[in-house]
Amino acid sequence: MKVLRKASLFFSVLMLLLLTACSGESTGNEGSTTEQTDEKISAKFGVISYLTGAGAAYGEAITQGLKLAQSEINENGEVNIELVIEDSAGEAEQALSASQKLMSDDSTLAIIGPTLSTEFFAVAPEADLNGITIMGTSTTAEGIPEIGDYVFRNAIPEALAIPTAMEKAIERTGAKKVAMIYGNDDVLTQSGFDTMKKTAEEMGLEILTIETFQKGQSDYNAQLTKIKNTNPDLILASALYNEGAVIMDQARKMGIEVPFVGGNGFNSPQVIEIAGDAANGLIVATPWFGESDEQKVVEFNEKYEAAYGKRPDQFAAQAYDALYIYADALKRAGEADRELFHEALAETKDFEGLLGNFSFDEIGDVVMDVKVVEIKDGKFIEFE
Amino acid sequence: MLDFINPYYLQIGSFILINILLAVSVYVPLSSGQLSLGSAGFMGVGAYTSALLTINFDLPIMVGVVGGACVAGILGIIIGIPSLRLTGVYLAIATLGLGEVIRVIFVNWDSVTKGSIGLTGIPQIGRELLNLVRGFGFEPSMIGLKNNQFVFLMVFLLLFIIVMATIWFVVRQQNSRVGRSFSSIQMDEKAAESMGINITYFKVLSFAQGAFLAGLAGSLFAHVMGYISPSDFSYHRAVEILIFTVFGGSEVIIGSIFGAIFLTLIPEVLRFVSEYRYIIYGIMLVILMAVRPQGILDIHLLSRVKGLKRSKGGMR
Repeated sequence: MKVLRKASLFFSVLMLLLLTACSGESTGNEGSTTEQTDEKISAKFGVISYLTGAGAAYGEAITQGLKLAQSEINENGEVNIELVIEDSAGEAEQALSASQKLMSDDSTLAIIGPTLSTEFFAVAPEADLNGITIMGTSTTAEGIPEIGDYVFRNAIPEALAIPTAMEKAIERTGAKKVAMIYGNDDVLTQSGFDTMKKTAEEMGLEILTIETFQKGQSDYNAQLTKIKNTNPDLILASALYNEGAVIMDQARKMGIEVPFVGGNGFNSPQVIEIAGDAANGLIVATPWFGESDEQKVVEFNEKYEAAYGKRPDQFAAQAYDALYIYADALKRAGEADRELFHEALAETKDFEGLLGNFSFDEIGDVVMDVKVVEIKDGKFIEFE
Repeated sequence: MLDFINPYYLQIGSFILINILLAVSVYVPLSSGQLSLGSAGFMGVGAYTSALLTINFDLPIMVGVVGGACVAGILGIIIGIPSLRLTGVYLAIATLGLGEVIRVIFVNWDSVTKGSIGLTGIPQIGRELLNLVRGFGFEPSMIGLKNNQFVFLMVFLLLFIIVMATIWFVVRQQNSRVGRSFSSIQMDEKAAESMGINITYFKVLSFAQGAFLAGLAGSLFAHVMGYISPSDFSYHRAVEILIFTVFGGSEVIIGSIFGAIFLTLIPEVLRFVSEYRYIIYGIMLVILMAVRPQGILDIHLLSRVKGLKRSKGGMR
């Protein structure tokens, strides 16, 4: 029993240390809470982002997009937004801890993020339970807005993007027989594949073969040989761009010349860099078309490049739009109140953002038109 | 008042407690000389078993957790027997492989595990407890707590009790005939066998205990998080768990506990440096391992501390 007593003493001391250590830190933040001035509405938004680890590039693009929007909105002067950015390292537990940290601060009005769908599934029910609005800017998996009333997203779900791309592709090529390949150990590609399969069945396409691969694989010849032997009119590939580009490269080398239709994760300028000429013939649907010559897109590209020295991707663009949607809801809410803000956000309709005309449907999912683009002669062009 | 009962701190506290269980699950096989990297896999088995039992059959969480731990333990026995022939680094590789196989099964067994999307809507311990006490007519507001404060506090206390019970068991076992057999096997397998110790039995026992504890931690993890996906149980997790034990000191149980607490806390405490926190974390690991390759805490250090205090308790 002595052992037990000692161990529990040791524990209690450690837990006490933990409590004091943490509380000491949080009191430091108290000073920067929301200050209500007469003319301006001030609000504090929590951001959970994937800033360290393998997928840090996504988190970086998202936070840069948010910061750019923040500086513009604050300069504009109607509302004053403060962002508290926390890292999740791409892990669900870390994201949950970070969200608890943000939510336990009573002045946090709403949350943006986390980056990955797997993190979002862990965090969103907790936010929903606490009555704090949460919006995903990069979470495209199925079932996200269904989590609860307070859960929103402005990332185009695969269920919207992929069918559009497939329809357009089939309209032009008249394809009837398709082959499928997908990464089965990633949420994004798996959920993209589910959508592709469902759409293909609905459209009455003949699925010749379904092949799978794993993250980080570098040789796809076995799968591609099988696909080649079935002689498809079109290949549906649910892959992230780094694997997808390699697949296209090896397919073209093998003599497979048919077009590829990809999901959201396949849509990156990196595909052209990695696969070169082999990337020609990739068709994807995207909310964000960086090569577009629309005024607002060109301006955004310039501003982003001036601030961060590189071109924005879709994650940056979606995050940028997300903060504008929040700011718009905040203006309509009139004050930084969690309930009012939630109601105002849910009513967002025909919001003219960078990505186009944007509305939420009744469960908080995206309603907007998506563009279909293809790679031709080494660059993205709009698909006709 | 009672503001210090903050969900954020309690959440981290809960993760610390789960990580302690995981660290102990590596420590126990190690105390009989077996380096197992299968903890992440066994944790996944426990988590998925418990989550599926509670989601699909509406069983109470209690049953799910015990079931998850038992399934992991049984798997530990099944795996433990053939892998007895392996020692040291070969066993480590075999168990790491096992963990990956388990993860790939979760990914591919779509109809049951929903593949890489993972399981959502797992019942959470805290909310069930809240409903339970409400059934008795008790409201958290009666002791001046908000609902979510109460929920997190209850989860923390429950985990605390489980962890204390586990540590108590492991310490008792260590000072018993079984524990002495473990350490004799660790010192010299052949000598232990020639002294009449049934090494097959004891090696499988310690391996299965490790698997059971990892499964227990996994099922608790599932019911604390409310959501699990195969990526929670990848080899990253296995390595992380191993680091808890090795960093804290693998010779004594208090080392594993210390490692789990310290290494879970550091990334949170370092939040204020945001992007740089894992760089600092890494540098810290390198320095500490260079200075103390046997881990922070070892028997010599503990006996020195004990000597200073002139106490004679047998905490190891």
